[in-house]
Amino acid sequence: MTNTRGTTVILATAFAATSLLLAACGSTVNSATSSSAAAASPSTSVSGSASTSASGEASKACGKWGMAMNAWVGYTASAQVVSNVAKSLGCTITQTKLDEAATTYDAMEAGSVDVVIEDWGGGRWKEWVDRGAVKELGENGNVGLIGMFVPQWMCDKYPDISDSANLNKYAEMFKTAESGDKGAWYEGPPGYTTIGEKMVSANKLNYKVINTGSEAALIDLFTKADKNQTPVLAYWYTPQYFNAKVKLCRVNFPKSDWTDAAKASGLTDYPETTLVKLATTKLVESGDPFANLVANFKWTNADQDSVSADIEGGMTPEAAAQKWIDANPDKVKAWTGQ
Amino acid sequence: MTTVRGLLSRRWVLVLIVVITWVILAAALKGVSTLELSTAADTPFTAWLRDLAASIRGNRTKSPAFLYFFNPIRLGVQGFIEPIRSVIAVPAEGDLIPLFGWLGVVALIGYIVYATSNLRTSVLSMALVFGCGVLGVWADSMDTLALTLGAVFLSLLIGFPLGVWAGLNDRVMAVIRPVLDLAQILPTLVYLAPLALVFLIGIASATIATLIYSIPICIRITAHAVRSLKAGPVEAAQSMGSTRWQLLTKVQLPMARQTLILGVNQTTLAALSFVVIAALIGAPGLGKPVIDALTIRNVGDGLTAGLAVVLLAVMLDRATTAAVLRSQSYVPVAGPALIRRRIGLIGGGIATVVAIVLSRNQLWAAVFPPQLNFGEEISAFFDTIVSWVTSTFDFLTTGLNTAFTTIMLNPLEGLLANSPWYLTITAISLVALIVGGRNVAVLSVFLMLAVVAIGLWHDTMITLSQVLLATAVVMVVGVVLGVIAGRSERAERFLKPVLDAGQTLPAFVYLVPVLALFGPTRFAAIVCGVFYAAPVVVRVVADGVKGVPSDMVEAAVASGSTTTQVITKVQLPASKKSLLLGANQGLIFVLAVIVIGGLVGAGGLGYLVLVGQSKPELTGKGLAAGLAIVLLGIMLDRIAHASAQRSDRSSS
Amino acid sequence: MTESADPGASAEAAISVRSLWKVFGPKADSIVGTPLAGLSRAELLEQTGCVAAVRDVSFDVAPGEVFVVMGLSGSGKSTLVRCLTRLIEPTAGSVLVSGEDILKASPARLRELRRTRFSMVFQHFGLLPHRRVIDNIAYSLEVNGVKKEMRHKRAHEVIELVGLHGYANHYPEQLSGGMQQRVGLARALAVDPEVMLLDEPFSALDPLIRRDMQNEVKRLHRDLGKTMVFITHDLAEALKLGDRIAIMRDGAVVQMGTPAEVVANPADEYVADFVRDVPKSHVLTLGAIARPAEPGEYLDGPRLDVTTLIRDASPVIADASGPIVVIANGEAVGVVTSDDVLRLIASEPTASEHEAR
Ligand SMILES: Nc1ncnc2c1ncn2[C@@H]1O[C@H](COP(=O)(O)OP(=O)(O)OP(=O)(O)O)[C@@H](O)[C@H]1O
Ligand SMILES: [Mg+2]
Repeated sequence: MTNTRGTTVILATAFAATSLLLAACGSTVNSATSSSAAAASPSTSVSGSASTSASGEASKACGKWGMAMNAWVGYTASAQVVSNVAKSLGCTITQTKLDEAATTYDAMEAGSVDVVIEDWGGGRWKEWVDRGAVKELGENGNVGLIGMFVPQWMCDKYPDISDSANLNKYAEMFKTAESGDKGAWYEGPPGYTTIGEKMVSANKLNYKVINTGSEAALIDLFTKADKNQTPVLAYWYTPQYFNAKVKLCRVNFPKSDWTDAAKASGLTDYPETTLVKLATTKLVESGDPFANLVANFKWTNADQDSVSADIEGGMTPEAAAQKWIDANPDKVKAWTGQ
Repeated sequence: MTTVRGLLSRRWVLVLIVVITWVILAAALKGVSTLELSTAADTPFTAWLRDLAASIRGNRTKSPAFLYFFNPIRLGVQGFIEPIRSVIAVPAEGDLIPLFGWLGVVALIGYIVYATSNLRTSVLSMALVFGCGVLGVWADSMDTLALTLGAVFLSLLIGFPLGVWAGLNDRVMAVIRPVLDLAQILPTLVYLAPLALVFLIGIASATIATLIYSIPICIRITAHAVRSLKAGPVEAAQSMGSTRWQLLTKVQLPMARQTLILGVNQTTLAALSFVVIAALIGAPGLGKPVIDALTIRNVGDGLTAGLAVVLLAVMLDRATTAAVLRSQSYVPVAGPALIRRRIGLIGGGIATVVAIVLSRNQLWAAVFPPQLNFGEEISAFFDTIVSWVTSTFDFLTTGLNTAFTTIMLNPLEGLLANSPWYLTITAISLVALIVGGRNVAVLSVFLMLAVVAIGLWHDTMITLSQVLLATAVVMVVGVVLGVIAGRSERAERFLKPVLDAGQTLPAFVYLVPVLALFGPTRFAAIVCGVFYAAPVVVRVVADGVKGVPSDMVEAAVASGSTTTQVITKVQLPASKKSLLLGANQGLIFVLAVIVIGGLVGAGGLGYLVLVGQSKPELTGKGLAAGLAIVLLGIMLDRIAHASAQRSDRSSS
Repeated sequence: MTESADPGASAEAAISVRSLWKVFGPKADSIVGTPLAGLSRAELLEQTGCVAAVRDVSFDVAPGEVFVVMGLSGSGKSTLVRCLTRLIEPTAGSVLVSGEDILKASPARLRELRRTRFSMVFQHFGLLPHRRVIDNIAYSLEVNGVKKEMRHKRAHEVIELVGLHGYANHYPEQLSGGMQQRVGLARALAVDPEVMLLDEPFSALDPLIRRDMQNEVKRLHRDLGKTMVFITHDLAEALKLGDRIAIMRDGAVVQMGTPAEVVANPADEYVADFVRDVPKSHVLTLGAIARPAEPGEYLDGPRLDVTTLIRDASPVIADASGPIVVIANGEAVGVVTSDDVLRLIASEPTASEHEAR
């Protein structure tokens, strides 16, 4: 026995090898879950948040598909309801958390997700549609409205502030160290549809656009402004569960058609956006029940808000979605045709 | 000594003259030729990049470069990482647990650490991994761990041979060194977008990005390990007729073992910290909740995940450090200690196997028990603390923010960004000429003109103003704490865990609370930069102060100096080299975070990089902003470097 | 007398070195054979930035001889000895080992020579810290492909030889400096080399241990008869061990000869400086002071050989009533009295300076 270190290594590797061999044998825990015992399984607590797989009984009719999960709660509500319904149809849905727009479209083109259930992008997907990777599946029933908002107390105190023509009058109030001698105009996060710079220049506003960088920042701004009754002018949108917590008031700008590129240079306010669904060509052409479900899915802002509120209130997305599904069998039937 | 001081002060007088002239001219020409560009606007260069990106995206399924090069790499990396994930992190489809349940993973980690270091570290490691479960992020932690280990393995696979080669061969080193230097100053955010463009969002991109970050570190330390070997034994082995291969395998590598393990340690920590950031391009695991915390404002979950990152970091660090310590002596254990160890290995091995079997067959050992999962409570606790701090200290933070921004930040930004670009370039290059010399000045002019040509001059100057101020603050904090830590062992012992945590905590984690405290402001980004860079600077300064020969200090004390005099007249001047090194390091660290500060309202280049990542029509702008960051980084690094070398020369 | 009379390389010599140069620096190759080679080391450094560490050195070492190279720090001793096995590649010249030109050897042949014919002992030992004593000693056998059993057997033999019994399984860090250098010696002996090269092997040891080790080398040389090239800057060591001594200065050999020749007739002031403090009685033999008997002196005193050191002879000389007789090959060649010895000792400090001029 001369080489002591060598022996140690041999011992350790022997055990490592044994462990791996053991792993090759069946696992009773896993074989239990693959059967219907899964109903009670805490599957969400086991799998990574990056991909939650919801599996149901195998069915020839419905396949395996990927659902993109964008960050905001409203999206989660819609996506989870669709996932739950799909699961009841026997589909296997893998959820993948992704940033919206380009990131998600890329993922669709690469085949790792198949559905975007709520897209605000206003045609940004054109490049991917042109290449034949992605198809637009029409409106999902939610109507989005982006805009510049102030806390409700401001509208109460200065009723004319909701007209953009009066913004310059109040610019002084919105001054911060950040904006220097102009009013502070807090713009939305990088991924969101934003036209603040154009709105400011088209309306000759004495405001400085500050790129907030994240939705968290906007929420902080509004929460603080609401609580301390301080002024703030920032980017926001509906539907959003947050609107139920803090009352906001929209500042209206002259309207124009912003989806038309030719007229875009003159645009001065965000229009109402009918939010749309996108799917991979592969899914659309598969004739799968899931394709059908996604194509038919449609619900209202109120529907979405009720699920969002439950999620915000502490329910798991699965439970909140199921609660809504159980309460609205007719709507679900209309999507599935069953 | 007096002449040195004379030289130094002459240089600073010149700088002062340049700056004053600059300030006067800038005030006169305010707002002229600032090259400001709205976010949505493209320049010819960014438009070209945008079209290039679009054509790359369009070609991913067609062009041979993708079919035969990039896509196979992507699939290969993915095919390597996925199996590792499936062992500890991701259950196979329809399964409840991955190959091993939590108990099996804990036991296996404990066993591996025991085999490579010692019992104490093993127990600590198991406790830390267990802690990830208690924090309620078991699955995410395992995903991060799996990805980290996979990336470390690949880093070592590539970095180790290259490092050895560079260690043995001067010509290889000469080729590799500039790449390593560049990698060191490249802010992490910069290469995410181009990688995602080529390798798509997902595990492959995340892993490759991590490799780009960790391989240079591995190469550097490996090469150093081989280079710094004592010459004697190597020469002796040569004199006995070893072949080069024998020399390498029988002498150089075994002798370098300790430094090599240190390389593993550094590579591992680098990979872990990057895997968190790589969540921006699809890395699964703990990075996701940290970033989500920003998108949907969830302070508690973000901090909880951040804490889990720290637990993992401490675990990996202690495990590898213990292995380094164990390899300090070349003498292996023997006698009763050896027998005890063998028994331990066998017993531990059996226990591990049992734990693995249990973890695959018993629900309690498979799925982390919900009774032990305090994730929600901890998250709520963090939430409460942060909102209490935010509301309680609101007046203070707002005041601090406003004061700093109006007194320092706005004037500096005005000087750099809101004066004519040619004035700024002239002034900066004159300063570079005075402090760094002609070569650096020429390089700076060239780099700044390149930024102008790219079309992102104004945003670059916004970022520069934040970097400079944050570095200044970091230096103040670093010198104060560094001197305290360098002079008192007690203070150092107290500071060490804080510094350790500060260095392992991913910068993303404190973005959210800082955002809550200071709102979406440039100041918030500066605070983050200070937090991130301060630990390094404190370390470097403390080491410098400690390195001052004690007889020098004693002589000063004996001649009746006050403590302040000892610090300012002896310890600080004598550790000037460390101070300059600290400043250089501080600059680079600050730059890396100021860029991420785009997420909390810092604007500038970082914001453009982020916009470019999510808005396809602005991809070009994002990529160009990344390039501008690199140019800025090189310029700052070279100026700092050259001025350090210069003052080194003038004082010797 | 600074060089062996034979201008051509000698095939009988164990080592035969001719016109060896080693130049370090940017244009190392373009100096030998040009007028630049005639410059002094300092001038060369100034003009070209090159250091001539070894300048035009020639010597022969006979089989079984202990050849000592001496010189101040920086004089090129280490470089010279490393050139002999091409650990440092010489710039010009030739090195013959038993008639074979080392400088023309292929890498494989060179490795073979290093594995079997040469071995080297280093000032800082150069032991492999991660290997046990026995594996250190067996290293050169190992790289030469000798089976483990065989090489351990041989290693155990040399371990006994250098007096390290019982330390085979220790690691270098567990040994004292002196013991470590014994391992170094054992390692050099393990391959049973023809030539041993020792570069200041004992400089890092304290004086008592150093004396032990010197005796050890003497003993080994007596028992095994190896050819040795021994580098030192300690004159006492050189005188004690060397059959012949070469003294180097700024890369060149300034004097070469037996210890007695060097001490008795230093070639220049540099050498004289070296030997100034050496008690001549410790180096000179009776032959150096023997003189023909004067009338009236009887040749019936004790008889001693010419090769006897004066120091060793002095007790006899002091006790003798008359002169002692110095003999060579059984023939009387002269006489020595205690007055002669006293004169030598008294003249010492100045005498050496005198002779230098
Ligand atoms: N690798 C090298 N590159 C450049 N110059 C060298 C190198 N090695 C040695 N020299 C120079 O060659 C000269 C001779 O060095 P060497 O080590 O042979 O001297 P030495 O006589 O062994 O001295 P010491 O007694 O200090 O060991 C010195 O001036 C040294 O600076
Ligand atoms: Mg030497």
